[in-house]
Amino acid sequence: MREAKLGRRGFLGSAAALSAAGWAGSIAGGLVLRPSWAHAAGPIKMGIATDITGAIAPSGNANWQVAQYAVEEINKSGGILGQPIELYLEDTASDPKIAVGNVRKLIQERHVNVVLGGITSAMRQAIKDPIVNRGKTLYIYPQLYEGQECTKFLYNTGPTPAQQCDRLIPYLIKTLGKKRFAMPSANYVWPQLLNKYARKVIEANGGEVVFEEYYPLDQAEYSATISKIKDGNVDSVFMTIIPPGLQPFVKQLYESGFQKSGGVLTCVYYDENLLNYHPAEEMEGLVSCLDYFQAVDDPFSKKLQEGYAKMFPGTKYLFTAGSASTGMYRGVKFYEAAVKATGGKLGREEVAAAMDHAVLTEGPGGGAEMVPGHYHAKMNMYIAVCKNEGGKTRYDIIDKASMVDPREC
Amino acid sequence: MDFAIKFAFDIMAFTSVMVLIVLGLGVIASMMGIFNFAHGELVLLGAYTVYLCDEYGMGAWTGVILAPLVVGAVGLVLERTIIRRFYATPIIAMLGTYAIGLIIREIVRGLLGGHYKAIPEPVSGAFAIGGLEFSIWRSFIIATTLAVIAGCYLLLARTSIGLRVRGALENPMLARACGISTGRLYALTFAFGAALAGLAGALIVPLYALSADIGIRFLVQAFLSVMLGGVGTFEGPVLGAAAVGGMAASLPWVVIPVLADPLVFVIALVIVRLRPQGFITVGRL
Repeated sequence: MREAKLGRRGFLGSAAALSAAGWAGSIAGGLVLRPSWAHAAGPIKMGIATDITGAIAPSGNANWQVAQYAVEEINKSGGILGQPIELYLEDTASDPKIAVGNVRKLIQERHVNVVLGGITSAMRQAIKDPIVNRGKTLYIYPQLYEGQECTKFLYNTGPTPAQQCDRLIPYLIKTLGKKRFAMPSANYVWPQLLNKYARKVIEANGGEVVFEEYYPLDQAEYSATISKIKDGNVDSVFMTIIPPGLQPFVKQLYESGFQKSGGVLTCVYYDENLLNYHPAEEMEGLVSCLDYFQAVDDPFSKKLQEGYAKMFPGTKYLFTAGSASTGMYRGVKFYEAAVKATGGKLGREEVAAAMDHAVLTEGPGGGAEMVPGHYHAKMNMYIAVCKNEGGKTRYDIIDKASMVDPREC
Repeated sequence: MDFAIKFAFDIMAFTSVMVLIVLGLGVIASMMGIFNFAHGELVLLGAYTVYLCDEYGMGAWTGVILAPLVVGAVGLVLERTIIRRFYATPIIAMLGTYAIGLIIREIVRGLLGGHYKAIPEPVSGAFAIGGLEFSIWRSFIIATTLAVIAGCYLLLARTSIGLRVRGALENPMLARACGISTGRLYALTFAFGAALAGLAGALIVPLYALSADIGIRFLVQAFLSVMLGGVGTFEGPVLGAAAVGGMAASLPWVVIPVLADPLVFVIALVIVRLRPQGFITVGRL
């Protein structure tokens, strides 16, 4: 068995070599990162099920690295009440069919105490049943998403539509004065449910949705849409298109002179990674709203970035909000807080009861706290605008909302 | 009037992209009888060449010029080592080229870490005619496409090289008896088709950003174009690509976008049913 011979250092070394070559490596057999010390009660087993390979591997690898970082931090400071955390990784391969089998391994063979992971909603839907119902294990889902996930023993640590829209849309309408919205979107569940919520907030604030339209995920030509934006005098594009259909849309919108004539492009999953997906001039003025940006001026967040960069020097996988990394960090820390509250008991009922009231005083973008009985967390939300300086892009934070309510369940 | 010009330009721009991608595929399919499933990855390699040139400070223009040469050379190597073993078995050729494509695609995906990379246009911005703005790069793509079509047509239909290629395809034994080196001709044709794919990749990558899947997203529509236009002629696939590209760009104006995509296929398949030989049946090359 590969894992038996592979110590943590050995693994990190080979993982670094692999990722230096560009491949995260196939992990068909799963991976274990054992702590460097032991405790009489044995380690706490934490399972990470994320997309190491496939279409969304960049996010999945960032998640895995953030999980390692958070766990390393906890283990270095003595574990949870003396018990170290042992990390188990299974690749969900951006493919729910493969994921279900691999997640079962975490539960049935590894007997993990908790599973964190899944990035897309399709993945969460596929793996929640094997984890929560059949597997009788606690599940923490880290990504920003469309809401309405109210399953017992499933905790969501990323932002919800309310958290992303409640402050952002009034800002677009009242502060920037942009009232006529277009909602070009990729045709799947997240844009559809997010738009449903956003439309309510837009209309409640005196804005108007000129059109809401869905495209195949890989659409390459948008001239019909651009023409509708022009003809409808749209001044605010609330976009939920995702790659690969994303880049041609943004380019055609920019070429149409939308931004030059005062239009504002908004997209609520845009983090630091996404800025590199477009030429800098196309990103100028883009508005995003997330639970964390690297530009957030918070000493603890800065320390996190430094520690992460030290553990993974020169990594391609950034610690950002859009890739579920902030939710992953929060998830690991919420679990730590919950186990501390139970006095080290690892039973699902006990940990879940403690999880319900868990509070983090610090984290990326600030602290967070679970809303008891609602399976979602309050957290700080930031509105940021992209600035382009001589071909280099960055976010400027222009608004912070403290401890925004998720308004779910 | 303004609207009509803008509309025509948008449709033309996308149709040109489609035609550029199909050209190389069509040349190889028509002249050699090989359905090259690695075509999307040859497009990808062209795009990747531009990215590398841009990354190492040689500028995107250098990349656009180098891409057809680099990918043509890759094509030559592929033909000499692998493709030439498939001429007798076209079905196996599909599987073989698919495997080659898969290998290239996944290697590039690894090198990119799965991320997308924005590639700037070698010339960005727009020019104005009569108050209407047109993207310079899209105009460049349209002009290049027209030039490439004309060049290819002349080369294949009006030169002795083109004649020999067609002779070698029609009756290899007789061609060899006449002193034509069929092996060398096939190698050149394949390299030429690959070079066209490389050029297509280099030209379209500023519009779509580089990712490992840049080629395959167009591949199915490209095969549809070849089917629609008919294999065995040069004009067929070009016309097919123009039809598919034109439909893909104009249908979203009249039906909702999620319907436009399947509708392109439905219409194309109906045409294929009515004209199974393709658009061009007389004057085969």
